[in-house]
Amino acid sequence: MIKKLRNLKLTPGLILRLVVGLVVLIYLGWRIYQTAFGEGTYGPDTWMRFLIAGLIVGGMYALIAIGYTLVYGTLFMINFAHGEVMMLGTYAGYFALEAFASLPAPTAADPNLNFLNAQPVIALILTFVAGAGVSALMGYLLEKIAYRPLRGAPRLVPLISAIGTSIFLQNAAQLLFGPQRRQYQNPDFLWRGTGWMIPVGGKDVMLTYTGLFSFVLSILLMVGLFILVRRTKLGKSMRAVAENKQAAALMGIDVDSVISKTFIISGILAGSAGVMWGIHNGLFNHYVGFIPGIKAFTAAVLGGIGNIPGAMLGGMLLGLLESLGPALLGLDFQLKDVIAFTILILVLIFRPSGLLGEALSEEKV
Amino acid sequence: MKTSLKKGLSSGVIFGIVFIFLLLIGFINVGSTMIGDLLGNTASGRLPVNNLLTFLAVLGVLTGITARNGLGESQWWQALLGGLVAGLVSGVLAWLAIWLTGTLSLQGSEIQTYLPNMDPADLNYLRFYSTPLAAANTYLLYFVGFSVAGAALVWLLSIKGWFVKCWQACRNGVSNWKGTKDLSDVFKNRWVMLVIFLAVAVALYFLPLAWGSYWNYIMGTVAIYVILGLGLNIIVGYSGQLVLGFGAFFATGAYTFALLTAPTPHGIGLNLWLAVGGSVLVSTLTGLLLGLPILNLRGDYLAIVTLGFGEIIRILIKSDLLTAVTNGPKGVTNVGQPTWFGETFNDVNYMHLLMLLVLVALFIAKRLKDSRTGRAWVAIREDQTVAQATGINTYRSKILALMLGAAFAGLAGALFASRNQFTGPEDFTLMVSINVLCIVIVGGMGSLPGIVLGAFVLKGLPELLRELEDYRLLVFGALLVVMMIVRPEGLWPAPRVKFDKPAEEPMQDLAPEVKQ
Amino acid sequence: MTRAVIEAKHVTKRFGGLMAVDNVDLVVPEHTISSIIGPNGAGKTTLFNCVSGFYVPEEGEILFLGEPINSLPTHKICQRGISRTYQNIRLFGEMTAVENILVGEHTRLKTNWFEAIVHNPRYRTEEQESVERAFELLDYVGLCGLENTPARNLPYGAQRRLEIARALASQPALLLLDEPTAGMNPQETDEMVAFIRDLRDTRKITILLIEHDMRVVMDISDQITVLDYGLKIAEGRPAEIQSNQRVIEAYLGPGAAALSEKFKKKKAHYA
Repeated sequence: MIKKLRNLKLTPGLILRLVVGLVVLIYLGWRIYQTAFGEGTYGPDTWMRFLIAGLIVGGMYALIAIGYTLVYGTLFMINFAHGEVMMLGTYAGYFALEAFASLPAPTAADPNLNFLNAQPVIALILTFVAGAGVSALMGYLLEKIAYRPLRGAPRLVPLISAIGTSIFLQNAAQLLFGPQRRQYQNPDFLWRGTGWMIPVGGKDVMLTYTGLFSFVLSILLMVGLFILVRRTKLGKSMRAVAENKQAAALMGIDVDSVISKTFIISGILAGSAGVMWGIHNGLFNHYVGFIPGIKAFTAAVLGGIGNIPGAMLGGMLLGLLESLGPALLGLDFQLKDVIAFTILILVLIFRPSGLLGEALSEEKV
Repeated sequence: MKTSLKKGLSSGVIFGIVFIFLLLIGFINVGSTMIGDLLGNTASGRLPVNNLLTFLAVLGVLTGITARNGLGESQWWQALLGGLVAGLVSGVLAWLAIWLTGTLSLQGSEIQTYLPNMDPADLNYLRFYSTPLAAANTYLLYFVGFSVAGAALVWLLSIKGWFVKCWQACRNGVSNWKGTKDLSDVFKNRWVMLVIFLAVAVALYFLPLAWGSYWNYIMGTVAIYVILGLGLNIIVGYSGQLVLGFGAFFATGAYTFALLTAPTPHGIGLNLWLAVGGSVLVSTLTGLLLGLPILNLRGDYLAIVTLGFGEIIRILIKSDLLTAVTNGPKGVTNVGQPTWFGETFNDVNYMHLLMLLVLVALFIAKRLKDSRTGRAWVAIREDQTVAQATGINTYRSKILALMLGAAFAGLAGALFASRNQFTGPEDFTLMVSINVLCIVIVGGMGSLPGIVLGAFVLKGLPELLRELEDYRLLVFGALLVVMMIVRPEGLWPAPRVKFDKPAEEPMQDLAPEVKQ
Repeated sequence: MTRAVIEAKHVTKRFGGLMAVDNVDLVVPEHTISSIIGPNGAGKTTLFNCVSGFYVPEEGEILFLGEPINSLPTHKICQRGISRTYQNIRLFGEMTAVENILVGEHTRLKTNWFEAIVHNPRYRTEEQESVERAFELLDYVGLCGLENTPARNLPYGAQRRLEIARALASQPALLLLDEPTAGMNPQETDEMVAFIRDLRDTRKITILLIEHDMRVVMDISDQITVLDYGLKIAEGRPAEIQSNQRVIEAYLGPGAAALSEKFKKKKAHYA
């Protein structure tokens, strides 16, 4: 340990990092002490509400973050347009729900019943299929059109192409569907703003049905993905491609098709997250993918990019930090994005490999 | 046979989808109107149908050309087949789209609530004011007919070979002309250069006088973006560090200038030239502070961190936390303006000032590029590890690049705030950073003429094509992707610096020493 | 006894559980050509990377002309006078041959960015001299006429020579060459051997090289160090190494030494 310290290169960057780190730590400690023992601005029920909100949004971040991580793992590029893939999923889910709501399914008891409320489970499943399907298709096309011709180019080139695609998709959505905000039409049993009341510290905190639904679904999807990557042949070939494309190709793996499938899987997860976003938050427009996209990337980096459990952990953590952070630091809630970006910067400065990530070798850099 | 069919089919599908996309984003009306303006075929009241037909014809010809392009010499029936298949496929897709939208709109469905461009009046025009079925058939006919025509055109050009020959002759001519020694030597003559320089200077002086204020405004914006582009070029083009939050430095420059000169909220009322210096200084320091912790990050991490930084600055400016300092979302008004013998600058004076500063910026950027510092930056861009092993302090070099780039942005920010007499947080969204990045990339990374060209193309052209305002960003995005695939080096790649072999050392210097 | 240019003591570098370089001592005397050989994965390039500062060894010390360099950043090590080439050529591809050399001269130039903008006399003379030196150097390595060609467009052999020229441009005391004759035909190899000798004899540069071609190694080395699995297994003059049992075993597998003894005896017997 001491020898390690002695061999440390004491660059100005390192000194600065140490200073910044100390300042941040001291400030954090002071704030946490303040909020815990000093001022009593927030009661336990408020903290509980923050916690629940954080977990729900964290689940969605995690799903999108997995997409970033999967693509980064195989191609070593940031799929900047991933947020837009999610946005298109949100639109697809919206249109599916609108279609089901306008489809009449009258019964004797209720002649005005529509398909959405007559068969809510089937309708929801189909909505998710629509959202995930459109996003998967987008992911596939994205890779095929914007990234595949650039494989082997310098690293900046595909990144700029990704930025271009992102701008294109965002504006295409605006031109196609208009700039106004739209509202998701949920089935009655998942109505927004309804939920269970949990008594915390003498007050009731609401656990919304949509929130619980999103959270459980995101956990299920993550488990599914984990099994896919760990247990199936596709998962094995994905890991092989991530490790070494040439060697994988020599072992008879169709690298192009594996990369395509990676994009499809990340599209499915992003699309599902998009539909959840709509169901839980209701209002959305063509910008819906941008901020979650960047946040999810932050989450992926936080957990260690290229590492799937890392992305899950990072997503959850970021959701919690964003929700608890402003209160914990005594800052305004309009600064929650600042907190997220600051976390990203701090993580990259102090632990560029992320919480669970391993240091990347030079070839992968 | 098989390739003809396959290429025709794929071209048909692509153009069919493009047609539907253009229809849904409402571009077909806009495009037709633009063609009308171009051909002088405008009318009040009912829009002339000819323009729409011309638009369709162009699309059809493009379909046919795409179906046959790059296949080399072929038989006439192959060309016909390819063009026909492409036209049929795209035509059928167009037919479906027109028939469906027309019928739905006539039935009074709520299609416009979901697709806002499906305005009944617009759709009526797209149907040639007739029934959906008849209109759809016209579309099909047009696509098939003009696709075949396009294919025939390609076939004619390929079979005769004269087009190719003509093209080659042109190219040979150009390269011969380029190769002429005498001509390039002419440009080395100092006097010739001086005359050219003077001519350009005179032209630049008189242009703003002739242009009028509207053009001065547009060209002023272009000039500010040239300075921004030159700054980002130092960071991205020379040293290869992808910074996506360049707008942050622009914002700090503009706000510093505004707060130092505006009567509210602080009323400092500093001398303008000192305020410009202050803006440059604050932006440079921001660059230093941002650079110190993050510049040893890898390329794509750096992109995201700087993007986050840009957003942080914008949110902070807007936030309640800093409203006391920055005036919050309202922005700062009555920003100071320069004066000339007691008179406030008008648009012509501003344009002259901007031109002068652009020239200064170009000069500095050029000298930096050709220096030891500039070579170190390029070495870092090419291979950072090796650059460091060659004795370059890469960390310090990159910070220097960021600081100098930020200084350019600070200057541009001060000019921007002063000319608009206003600065607000929404002037510095992520789109500003991306715009500047596009200028650098589309123009040609590391290339000074490329950046000037890029600023004209990306900031000047959209102003000229006012109708395209809504579609500008869409085209931007597509343009970035296409550039990366087709021409990643940019429109005007950096010219290579040539070193002449130094003359042999004269031997006389040694002689006296030998004598002693 | 000439003084040591490099003196490495107990250098150890680990990658996870792998001991890439394990407790290696190395002394490179001045104005000599020393070689490091060993089977693939023996830790030769890792040792190189420790010397040139890419890696910081976990244990041990590396002295350059008597001063410790193992905690210096890479560019400082280059400034002290160590420069290197790479196993797979790493030139600045987009830059021309002259520009590559000019980058190589970076540490020997003094002007800063501000002087570059104002073009003061010091800047102009320095720039002119550096270009002159670059042309001389390109002439020396035989790249006359290719000065303004981008490095990536040069033929393979020229790229190798340009890389050495770039390393020489920083006027090093020690030159590290990582497989300088890799991928060359016998004639090119002979030229390279003569060139390396000339560097030592006329330019007075100390050379440490990694090489797989045994003919080259035995031909030019004054001293050879053999690594295997990160350990130094032998050191000495070429003749000593050729007959060293452990070296033969490392290259040909256990039992090979005995076999070769047998073979030698047989040969002696028949003779």
